[in-house]
Amino acid sequence: MEYTWDFSAVLANRQLLLLGVRNTVVLGLVCLVTGLFFGLFVGAARYSRNPVFHWPATAFVEVFRNTPVLVQIVWFFFAFPIISPFEINAFTAAALGLSLNTTAFCSEIYRAGIQSIDRGQWEAAKALGMDYSRQMRRIILPQAIRRMIPAFMNRAVELMKMTSLASVIAYGELMHQAKTISTIEFNPIEMYTAVALIFFALIYPVAVLVQRLESRFRART
Amino acid sequence: MGYDWDFGIVFRDFDLLMLGLVNTLKVTGLALLFGVPLGLLLALLRLYGVWIVRVPVGIVIEFLRSTPPIAQLFWFFFALPILIGVEIDPFRASVLTFSLQSSAFFAEVFRGGIISIDRGQWEAAKAIGMDRNRTLRRIILPQAVKRMIPAFLERAIELMKTTTLVSTISYADVLYQANSIAQSTYRSLEVFTVAAGIYFVVIFGCSLGVRQLERHLARSGETTAH
Repeated sequence: MEYTWDFSAVLANRQLLLLGVRNTVVLGLVCLVTGLFFGLFVGAARYSRNPVFHWPATAFVEVFRNTPVLVQIVWFFFAFPIISPFEINAFTAAALGLSLNTTAFCSEIYRAGIQSIDRGQWEAAKALGMDYSRQMRRIILPQAIRRMIPAFMNRAVELMKMTSLASVIAYGELMHQAKTISTIEFNPIEMYTAVALIFFALIYPVAVLVQRLESRFRART
Repeated sequence: MGYDWDFGIVFRDFDLLMLGLVNTLKVTGLALLFGVPLGLLLALLRLYGVWIVRVPVGIVIEFLRSTPPIAQLFWFFFALPILIGVEIDPFRASVLTFSLQSSAFFAEVFRGGIISIDRGQWEAAKAIGMDRNRTLRRIILPQAVKRMIPAFLERAIELMKTTTLVSTISYADVLYQANSIAQSTYRSLEVFTVAAGIYFVVIFGCSLGVRQLERHLARSGETTAH
């Protein structure tokens, strides 16, 4: 029963693992940036009183928040290519699923952040003669975004964890590299332990930062 | 782009998908059953344990929260059996992983709820002669649990979404069933769309229930949800 741990095969494959880390980070960053960008528009549409904007945005957000992200990725990889006008590879499928998922969650953060700003701010900006987009850009968003930062960073943490699901459709991120190496080297124990540790090293610092920011924010209000 | 949609094929195998849903709910239910009490235990140890217990418990919680669940699942399915020399089937590995994984999140929900209770409650309980255990059981937890309900249910919904990972170790949940139907019928577009639809109906239903409850609790002024 005594098992001798042997990490030499893990170290020998460090180049492959590093490539996996790189692909994980690339996928995470791409999805975070697109999610933050489009989330603002979807959030604004959700906030809008015009039903033409409000209802499609709401449907989009509910669908992506209420289905498992793995199902979204698998759908974009196996189902979507049949009707897609362009070629889908593992990266685009994972990026589409994760970006849209992040867009949906970020839009809710924007919406909640904007709603948390006192109505008086809108009224004061209006009294100064600003139109809607100026009120939003110059008065509301600068205040709201500061409040949203911990929530966005939380999303980044979640997103980093979700990128590991791209391994299911064979995108060469960290988890997939580990799977491949462990079948070649027959070292699932060391390999999956190492991978868990690498993910922890990538994600935990951000998680700690979020906790710090949150408690600082709570202390201020 | 003239694609001929044909959902008929999918609905012929609908009972397989429903069987998958039963399996999904089974894993979720069992993970809740084990994860919640374990979460409470972890929370109490992290809050009130001596440092030699508190510190490792804290590390375990943070580790489980900061690593992808799929990495944990693979570890318990592929690595653990070799380590302990016991065969673990996909079902057991899934229940084990998700019980532990969710217990870490539930621990944080419990901890948040407990520390949100005003210090005065502790002091008042002490003043009428209660020791810490009794205060916790009779005064603090009953109030904290009520406040935790929304956060708690949100975690349960997250858990249900996370359990789709069990399909990767060939446990027959909805996604796994969808995959096998897609392979035999070549109708992946319809099959995966229906599978997503099934998840949506179940999870959105739960979400609506939670929101309703949240509104109800917010009215009675007993919630930490923001």
